[in-house]
Amino acid sequence: MLQFCEWLEHNSWIVWIDSSIPLSLLFEIMHYSGFFLLVGSTVIVDLRVMGLAARDRTPAEVGRQLFPWMWTGLCMVVLSGFFMFAGDAGDFYGAITFRLKILVVVVAVAFGLIVRSQVPRWSELPTIPAGAKIVAFLSLVLWIGSILISVEVPAISGVG
Amino acid sequence: MYEFFMALAKWLQNTWWALDISGSTWAYPFVQLTHFTGLSLWIGTNLSLDLRLLGVGSKRQTAAQLSDALFVWNWTGLGIAILGGFMLFSSAATKYIPNLAFEVKLGILVPLGVLWHILVQWHARRREQADNVTPFGKLAGLIELLLWFSVIIAAVSIPNYDTSH
Repeated sequence: MLQFCEWLEHNSWIVWIDSSIPLSLLFEIMHYSGFFLLVGSTVIVDLRVMGLAARDRTPAEVGRQLFPWMWTGLCMVVLSGFFMFAGDAGDFYGAITFRLKILVVVVAVAFGLIVRSQVPRWSELPTIPAGAKIVAFLSLVLWIGSILISVEVPAISGVG
Repeated sequence: MYEFFMALAKWLQNTWWALDISGSTWAYPFVQLTHFTGLSLWIGTNLSLDLRLLGVGSKRQTAAQLSDALFVWNWTGLGIAILGGFMLFSSAATKYIPNLAFEVKLGILVPLGVLWHILVQWHARRREQADNVTPFGKLAGLIELLLWFSVIIAAVSIPNYDTSH
């Protein structure tokens, strides 16, 4: 894997993209915008499932409106994140905090998928089950955790 | 004017909370966490409303309904972002004051964005109760979308204008 990361880092396309200030800026803007869209829309759905937001709408209604932006944000984050990673792939690979960040994000996305698939069923019940609220709360904590670990990557590892 | 802001920045940077943040390895990332959590709520909900005004994505809810549904957490997000942003600024205020990207972000784009958002929200809640959005609503949504992208561009450009080293 380390060999692949080093190959990626020295790939002529990646070197060209990484050395271009406008492209680096573009990916950074795309990463932040996508992240705000992803986390903002996910958190609102989680808060609705927990009964703390938009209580005059069902969780399914809120979800139908916001889930497309959650996936759009995720695609923007993954695409831009790949190019931001590729330029320093070798260093990122060795950073424990970066690996932890990817793990937290993957688990958070998995929770997002659970909420996405179960929201229509939860909305048909007379009250939202306690289990659903726990899943939504964990999703919320995981996304806040992903922000924390993201800011810790450069703070602790000095990468990024 | 510059001297006034610099004197204010020096005082702020030497307050106990600013010294605590800048002197601790762990506090700074937690302050960043506060700022980014608030921004996710604020910008995420703003973009969702702007995209609805532009007619992109699901139209199951009108712009007025969506704006109402997001209202409380939208402004809560801004409150959290300001709190985190103020603490981040306090920890290195004298570094931020002469930074052109920071001046453009906080002096022009953010106030303009917040004022424009108030107009967009007011318009959406009163005038956008039908499925189809009015031409003004679409234009207002597009302008707001561009304003917040400009804020992000200015924010990521701050390190490029850092004159402290």
